[in-house]
Amino acid sequence: MARPSTPDRVNLARSKVLLVDHNQNSLDMLSSIFHGFGVKQQIKCGSTPEAVSIVETRDVDLVLIDCSMPEMDGYDFTRWLRRETEPPIRYTPVILLTGHAAQSKVRKGRDCGASFVVTKPLTPNVLLQRILWLGADERNLVECDTYVGPDRRVRSLGPPVGLPGRRSGDLSEHVGAATEANMDQTSIDMMMKPMKVAL
Amino acid sequence: MSEARTFKIKSTLARQLQDPGGSQVRDLERQATARLETHRDDAMAAVVATLDALDALCAEAAIDAGPRVYALASSIVDVAGYFDTGPLFHAAYSLCEVSDRMLQAETWHWPSIQVHTQALRLILASGCRVGRTSETLLAGLRSITQSR
Repeated sequence: MARPSTPDRVNLARSKVLLVDHNQNSLDMLSSIFHGFGVKQQIKCGSTPEAVSIVETRDVDLVLIDCSMPEMDGYDFTRWLRRETEPPIRYTPVILLTGHAAQSKVRKGRDCGASFVVTKPLTPNVLLQRILWLGADERNLVECDTYVGPDRRVRSLGPPVGLPGRRSGDLSEHVGAATEANMDQTSIDMMMKPMKVAL
Repeated sequence: MSEARTFKIKSTLARQLQDPGGSQVRDLERQATARLETHRDDAMAAVVATLDALDALCAEAAIDAGPRVYALASSIVDVAGYFDTGPLFHAAYSLCEVSDRMLQAETWHWPSIQVHTQALRLILASGCRVGRTSETLLAGLRSITQSR
């Protein structure tokens, strides 16, 4: 089967993107990056309570939120989104942005249900690649008592097929992992080269 | 224990990305980089203002100023992290690391903070260039972080 290639053209003109950062400089820079990506509908919030009220009243297609927000941090916001809102908004892709990850927050980052945690330094290239990755995301969503969000076992799947960064050992979501022992070479040869048998 | 439910959802974002029209990925990256670059001067001015605030905290040396130091260092990382500021970013990250560790350990050492702010000013004054000076400074900061 031919692999889908990395898309040459993408269209974010119709996407509604919610940007949340308490640092006004960072919020302005993030907004400029998304203007550059062609996003026309941006909702900018300087606080998480403001972002909560936006999500409760409007549809958004993508959320980018800084991890270290005061009051309710980016991890808690994502956890709230995944657990306390109704579908389909509950499954909205969320990218968490972090500068320095404090030791006390590492576990929160793993368990909150974000689609990605993007660490700085951040370039428009990295951000766009992550958005493209979200567009081709093959991960399952998982819902259980202790977690709601994308399947965290992404390491064995790697980036989606066609995007840069895949390793030779990455599994395919379509084929899956092997469930039986490998065939030996003689058996394979017999399948590939059937021979006449003299009776 | 409840059973985990797994399922697939195609997001509206995924559908929109494939809408007809659109632009070349490389063009979007170029436009975004150009727009971001217009913020560079304001961002560097914000870093200087934050360093002033850090120096004021160091001079005051209040007992409960640790979380404020971490927040200011974080804001430098946040802003510097949008540009190719190399050693400036790493020095600010080191300040976050050392202040976070000291907060966790509930021991505070102001000279470690002052060394970081001085290094950040030197790096900023040299235009955030990578070189022997910046490498030496960063190596010194790393040794402080590791010892805390």
